[in-house]
Amino acid sequence: MQDFQKQMCDFLIRRGIKNFIGVPDSTLKNFIEEATKRKKIIIATREEEAIGIATGMLLANSPTLVFMQNAGFANSLSTITSLVQLYEFPVVFLIGWRGFQKNDAPEHKKIGKIQPKLLKDLELDKKILNKNNWKTVCTWAINQTQKGNSCALIIPREFVD
Amino acid sequence: MIRKEAIELCLDEIKEQPIIAANGFISRDLFNAKDRNTNFYMIGSMGLASSIGLGVALKTPKKKIFVFDGDGNILMNLGSLTTIGSLKPKNLIHMVFDNSVHESTGSQPTNTNFVSIEKIAKACNYNHTFTVKTKNGFEKILRKIKKLKGPIMIVVKIQRSNGEKSARINHEPTEIKERFMQS
Repeated sequence: MQDFQKQMCDFLIRRGIKNFIGVPDSTLKNFIEEATKRKKIIIATREEEAIGIATGMLLANSPTLVFMQNAGFANSLSTITSLVQLYEFPVVFLIGWRGFQKNDAPEHKKIGKIQPKLLKDLELDKKILNKNNWKTVCTWAINQTQKGNSCALIIPREFVD
Repeated sequence: MIRKEAIELCLDEIKEQPIIAANGFISRDLFNAKDRNTNFYMIGSMGLASSIGLGVALKTPKKKIFVFDGDGNILMNLGSLTTIGSLKPKNLIHMVFDNSVHESTGSQPTNTNFVSIEKIAKACNYNHTFTVKTKNGFEKILRKIKKLKGPIMIVVKIQRSNGEKSARINHEPTEIKERFMQS
């Protein structure tokens, strides 16, 4: 079901993304595996740290994506407002959406529920990815960064393990 | 030595090389000491100066990148030391101006009263670590590190400033970013 993630990683690399910085999420496992194989990845200790490294790379003109689970997105709110948005860094966020399904583990339920509203209140433009639309959505994200905007790509967790 | 004196002292040695400065009085003192296009003033996002510096250092291996950090700042992002120590950028010089208080918010104590940041950096595989307490000692280390490979940490023990506050940075954040990227 998540096989498109490898193609998506390859597509983003070919469209100019040079670095993938983040904290692992099982929803994004295949994407992270491909980025690791391509040696373009740094695993950070926290999501805020990942965003810091990414903005440093952007200061050096190197296009960068930050990946995380939505729990980590919640950790990152202040860094998004006071670093990414304040300085207008064109970060692409890739966020795994836990708590998308009602039967997900209990710790994911609340954040999964409020995530759409958080993104909206942050005014962070987002699109939800699936195996059919990923290419269009990734092209949209690249266009956003070329205009100097940050944006978020969301992958819902559509399976329970 | 107070922070402003320490910053002025190392600017003589750093010349035009990039500096990523932590938020609060560290950025403000740097701005007042010498406003350069190669200064990145981190206004918000407390804790992340070393992470931003790491990102710049990895992507500009031919330049030496200086991080001006504070004790309160780095204590918020100790994980960063493990990432820097794992990736080992040779061109990263991480200075921590350590007064053992959060001076920008009213001088509340930090844990560096009890715990050594230098020892943590050493345990995290920084290539060289130093602690300096005097101007003379600091000048010597600044000359010495020119021949050393990073990551390097210098903990600069400073006294609290006596109520003298540097002016706020008068550049827009986007301007700070743009001029840094073009320099």
